[in-house]
Amino acid sequence: MRFKASIQNISTFTKFTASLNSLGPLAWVKLSKDQVCFTIIPEQGTQVWAVLSIDTIFDSYTIQSAAQNVINLEVPLTSLHRALKSALQASSASIRLTKKDNVPLLALTIVTTSTSISNSGTTSSSTTTTATTTAPHGGALSTSGADNNHNHDDGFGFDGGTSSSSFECAFGRERETVVTQEVPVRVLSPETVAGLHEPRCREPDVHILLPPLLQLKGISDRFTKLALVGAKSGTGAGGLGGTAVAAAAAASSSSSMPRTRLEMAANMHGCLRLSIRTDAMSISSVWTGLSNPELDPAQVTGGEEGIRDHPSTKMKELGSADGRSEEGWATVRIDGRDWGKVMSVGRLGGRVIACFCHEHALILYVYLPNDNGLDESVLTYYVSSYSA
Amino acid sequence: MVTLNFTFTPEAASKVHDILVCLAKFSDSVSIEARRDRLTFTALNSSKSAYASFALEGNKFFSQYECLPGNGGAEGRFTCSMYSKALLSVFKGRLDDARGKDTAIDHCDVSVQDRPDQTECRFVIKMVCKQGVTKTYKLTYESVEVMHALFDKNMANNKWSIQSALLKEYIEYFSPKTEQLDIYAEDSRVIFTSYTEKIMSGKEILKHPLHTAVAVNTSDFREFSAQEKMHIIISVKDFKAIVIHADTLKTNLKAYYSYPTRPLQFSYASDGMYCEFTLMTAGDHSEVPTPSATVMPTRASTRVQSAVSERSGSRNERLEMPPPTVPASRASTRRVRNPSLAKRAPSSRPADPDPESLFIPADEEDNRWDPVNYRNDEETLGWDASADDGIGIHPTFRDSGSLTRSESQDSAEALPPTQRISQIQGLW
Repeated sequence: MRFKASIQNISTFTKFTASLNSLGPLAWVKLSKDQVCFTIIPEQGTQVWAVLSIDTIFDSYTIQSAAQNVINLEVPLTSLHRALKSALQASSASIRLTKKDNVPLLALTIVTTSTSISNSGTTSSSTTTTATTTAPHGGALSTSGADNNHNHDDGFGFDGGTSSSSFECAFGRERETVVTQEVPVRVLSPETVAGLHEPRCREPDVHILLPPLLQLKGISDRFTKLALVGAKSGTGAGGLGGTAVAAAAAASSSSSMPRTRLEMAANMHGCLRLSIRTDAMSISSVWTGLSNPELDPAQVTGGEEGIRDHPSTKMKELGSADGRSEEGWATVRIDGRDWGKVMSVGRLGGRVIACFCHEHALILYVYLPNDNGLDESVLTYYVSSYSA
Repeated sequence: MVTLNFTFTPEAASKVHDILVCLAKFSDSVSIEARRDRLTFTALNSSKSAYASFALEGNKFFSQYECLPGNGGAEGRFTCSMYSKALLSVFKGRLDDARGKDTAIDHCDVSVQDRPDQTECRFVIKMVCKQGVTKTYKLTYESVEVMHALFDKNMANNKWSIQSALLKEYIEYFSPKTEQLDIYAEDSRVIFTSYTEKIMSGKEILKHPLHTAVAVNTSDFREFSAQEKMHIIISVKDFKAIVIHADTLKTNLKAYYSYPTRPLQFSYASDGMYCEFTLMTAGDHSEVPTPSATVMPTRASTRVQSAVSERSGSRNERLEMPPPTVPASRASTRRVRNPSLAKRAPSSRPADPDPESLFIPADEEDNRWDPVNYRNDEETLGWDASADDGIGIHPTFRDSGSLTRSESQDSAEALPPTQRISQIQGLW
């Protein structure tokens, strides 16, 4: 079993892990020849199934395993994200699967080159530093580790040799720091992951391109906060003494947390409505003029005929573009806090299409921006709807 | 009976704040020792494996300094101990902040009220602010014997010196949850490894903190003369506390050590301030010839499980408090000063006491995408339960010997609010 790659787009990878980490601490990572899948299935809340094309995050990617060259890992996202964050200023970073004391781990080797901020008088001609591998390799992984080492050494020698000479005259000295971050992982057997399936859902009633997520997140966060405040003043009305305050705070952090149900609805005329209803208030925000992408006959079962019978085609006949009509809305009820975690994906700056299955589920497709327009990377969020 | 009066400039008061922040990371109580020519703040952690000392030179650090110990002649001293959070609440951060011109202090007078004919013994701190406001704090103190860890620099044949800013950069790579720091040199490279040794199996393995190795060239050091292939292991938390403080002074940090299981000392100096940290080490030196005649038992460094519990026995013996006199060698090393550092502008940046923030701060652009943490949102309640304020009003003693650090932190968090919300309900 071997996996190694250089990380091509550190910032995207970092933001990607940050977005996923807000939904759950562990990810199932499936590495295969032509794509990388990250899946988060939390005990409660939204699931994410993300498929990235290799070149979205990796470069010079090597994978090999006895199980059709597929490697399944369980990865702690907090550690991975932290490790990636230390690579944000890096001149190069690579990742590989290795083993240490019989514990499999993802080792990130990060090389950061910076001009010395030194005021020290001592100068030295040698500025190259070579990679460390602290791991005594064992088992099936040992060969991959050794290979990697060799490659790294070559890479660093080249880097240091060329750039340090030019920098040395211009800015004094150049420093090179090599950081090795080791993220413990679990290797999952094909049998373990065989039972994991992407949720299946009926054809959506409405599909719509969401407005800029920062805007949407701002409003939904505000609504959620209002729902919490409303709930708090309701329960804490008995007395506002110190103990009552503490009790309210404790209550809000326990399972009896006040409900923060947001109602989201959209129609096939470019309208999106976000609303919240509590005993004390009812607020809603409506976006108009959004776009409802056309369905591609090649993607719909039944082709042209399938589109004619598609639920969204029927929804087109109802409602209006000003959002005032009560007809034609597909509605879902979602948890405000969970939605806030989903909105965390906005940092990736992708295009988001929301598919509404009325009273059933909300599915978000987040398409990552890419250059070649071919192998698209897409994150799919499955948000289920609460019953009224 | 003692006469102890001194005055700080706002810049110096801000430095005292930085010192206290650093000391608070070692112990709950800070010890103060006043001599005729200098004032020393010290702290010793509860397992007696780490000792921190900040000596402030009387005629350099202070704008005015007077200490007449009651007895003991030239070597006489006044010693006391105080709850570090109590002192910290007096020396808040940003005392010399130029932005707060109206509220900034003009100077700070400290005196000790220790006369038998007065009913109260107090440590009196007067913050003389601009606009004619004077804040007076009277803190209780405990009269204790202050002890110092001994460190023999002659035995320390390994030494290096490096800019604190570089070390600050390195510690930012470390995961905040790790416990040990391994310092290892090989082939003109120095490797700082932060890790945690815990035996975990199954799913637990995924909760294991990051293992981080930072490899740097010895040429990045100002000076490097240390034995290679020797693992020196200290607590990463202590190291972070030291580096963060050293970085507030933008100075060079020097390390002296002999071999694992013997103490290591970090020191740096700036503007009449001499900072020394003596830390117990673990590690493995089986590969190298023992530099001294003493035969030390070889410790398997890789098997150090819980650094404190396993080593505390031997540590106590080694760091067991020596006689409370400063040896001549130590006193003389304090005079060594780097003249180039003498006129450095004081840093106005307060050291961040939150250990969680040691890691690279997420860029602000990205932060707004994080889900809102509604649980901590107490904006409607409107009172601050932070330990600082609460303790400022109820200064109290803690016996550091009987309390572990974490226990006392809990107790600080549990301090009741100073005013009932119901009493100020009219404000809403």
